[in-house]
Formats: sequence, structure tokens, C-alpha cells
Amino acid sequence: MEKTPVIEIKDLVKIFDGRRVLNGVNLTVYKGETFVLMGGSGCGKSTLLRHMIGSYKPDTGSVWLMGKNLTTLNEDQMDEVKKKFGMLFQSAALFDSMTVGENVALPLREHTKLDDSVINIVVKMKLELVGLRGFENLMPSQLSGGMKKRVGLARAIAMDPEIVFYDEPTAGLDPIVSGVIDKLISDLTKKLSITSVVVTHDMNSVFRIADRIAMLHQGKIVAEGTKQEIEKSNNGLVRQFVKGDADGPVTFFKDKGDYLKDLIG
Amino acid sequence: MHIKTEDKNGIIICYLEGELNLNTAPQLKKAFEKLISEKQKKIVINFTDLSYIDSSGLATLVEIFKKLRAYGGVMKLVNLSTKIKSLFEITKLEKLFEIIDNEEKAIASFA
Repeated sequence: MEKTPVIEIKDLVKIFDGRRVLNGVNLTVYKGETFVLMGGSGCGKSTLLRHMIGSYKPDTGSVWLMGKNLTTLNEDQMDEVKKKFGMLFQSAALFDSMTVGENVALPLREHTKLDDSVINIVVKMKLELVGLRGFENLMPSQLSGGMKKRVGLARAIAMDPEIVFYDEPTAGLDPIVSGVIDKLISDLTKKLSITSVVVTHDMNSVFRIADRIAMLHQGKIVAEGTKQEIEKSNNGLVRQFVKGDADGPVTFFKDKGDYLKDLIG
Repeated sequence: MHIKTEDKNGIIICYLEGELNLNTAPQLKKAFEKLISEKQKKIVINFTDLSYIDSSGLATLVEIFKKLRAYGGVMKLVNLSTKIKSLFEITKLEKLFEIIDNEEKAIASFA
């Protein structure tokens, strides 16, 4: 079957304070797949995600989302694009002063003219999909970390998005709850024909949910392939990352000469 | 979305055409307000020309269902595409609504 691209990143370069955080990234995500972007802390993956959702503009290169070049859109046009994707933030980003139901309803109240009675039914449907129906009237402070993530997910899918972005969805969760979140991501992607883009460094999660994987290192995509291809990869960076070895091509320590020079100035 | 209603011997057939989504769902609600105010009891919604339905569309149907049921009204859904039918299944709404293959069978079931 012909694969339809929904996200295309072309020659993206982003420079912060003279440092090339993203250094010529090219990437394509296809409709209906779960695409995982993995890489170590500080490799630029969250920055890349922010370009995909239009929060950052690249210094050079372009980001295409559902056929629209985000780098050329004005605010109104960007708002229209934003209605077609959802985002699950690392912290779930719920509003503490609102109930679970109000949090899930928020995008619908902001972006549609639907009546409250209809919105309340949509909220129940979305909470049922994440296994939290009946929790509408609780406050976020009364929920566990995993439940907050699920509410965040219900909110992310409130508007029936074509794409859902997940920023470290399993960060800070225990292995069982991580498994539950991963299953939800997989199930919703398949059931609702959503395209999912997941940024993570949780390797258990990567191999559970991914259709395709890209690894970002020092602002560049160093490997890209199916789950099986990445698992069998001979690329030293990928092998080290998958196995979690401290020694390998990815180095965390500068050599001693630099350190001593630093001390004595 | 285009909505057309026809009265076939006391059974109201409502034909939906186009997309039932966030923008058009209020239109459906409005069209049904009239039927509900008339306390129409037998309603068939024909999905033949409906190409897409989203959560707000499904929720609007649930809302209409609730209002009809309050005065003993019954609604039946016919000619759902496989894709739309699967959405009813995912959201477990296929157990709430009476989904029938086609209009003739739905009309006959009211007899």
C-alpha cells in the first residue's frame, strides 16, 4: 500500500547561542504509523518535536505537517493546523484548578461551538478510551502520575486529531504503568487511525510501540529504520544506546587535560 | 453537511450527506430540535451519503437519542459504511443504537 507522508522535515537547522542543536535533519513520518524519535538527553529530540508542532521556527530548512509548510504559516493558519494534532506533554500539563472533565473538555470549549451537553458526552467517550470514565469530577491533585498521563492523553485526542505527539510519555512512571501507557498509545493509534510521534529514551517503550524508529545524536539523524532494523543495527551509537552502555561512541566525559586546564585557568 | 428529512407514512427518514464533524454537528442538533419538539416517535437516520463522522458527531447522536428516549421516541441508524460502523464499535455505541442494514428493514421493523 502507498504510504502517505504526514510530516516531512527537510534540511532543518536550528542554532541556539551559536550551537547547532539541530544540524540538517531530514525525516518523514507516514500516516497511521507510530514513529519513535529516540536519543540521549540533550541530543535535540525535544527541540525537534517543538519544530514539528510549530513552537519553534527553524533557522534554515522546512517542516511540513499534513501538506502545510509550517515555516510560512501566519498565526491564524497555524491555529487551524493546531486543531488537527494533539500533544501529550511530559508533565501531562493538566490545569490543577480544573476537574479531570474540564481539562479534557478544554480544547472543545476553546475551538468549537459545541453545546456543553455534547461536550460532556465527548469527554465521557474519551475518558472511556483511556480507561478513566467516572473520574470526571476529580481534581488532578487526586490522581497518580499514570492517571494524569491518561487524562492528558484523553485531552490530546479530544478533537479527534490526525497526529498525536508524545513527549517522554513514560518518564517518571513505574514499569507497569509505563506498559499501560504504551498499550494505550498502540491501541489508540491503530483503532483511531492516528499517526503517533513519540519522543523517548525509554528503550522498553521504544520496542513495544514503534513501527519505525529514528535516532538523533548531536543534532543529526544517525539511524532510521523499522523496529527490527534498529534492533539488529551495527551502528555503534545505536548499539550503545539500545544496550545502555556507558562506554562507546557516545562519550560523557571530557579528557583530563581539559579539566585540569579548566581548574588552573 | 446537508440534512434532508422525509416523512414516509409517519416514519421520519433523515438523510445525512457529507461530513458530521465539529463544525457540522450543531447543524444536526438543530435539525433534530424541530423533530423533538414535534415529539416524533419513529426516526430513521440514513448514513448512505455520510462520508465521515467524528466524536462530536457521535456525541450529538447520543444527545439526540437521550432526548428522543425521554418521550418514548425511537431512532434507528441505517446504511453505515464499514469504517463508520467500526467507530461505533470502538466507542461501544453500537450497543446503544439500533444499527440496521438498510432503510427498508428499518421501516419494516417499526411495523
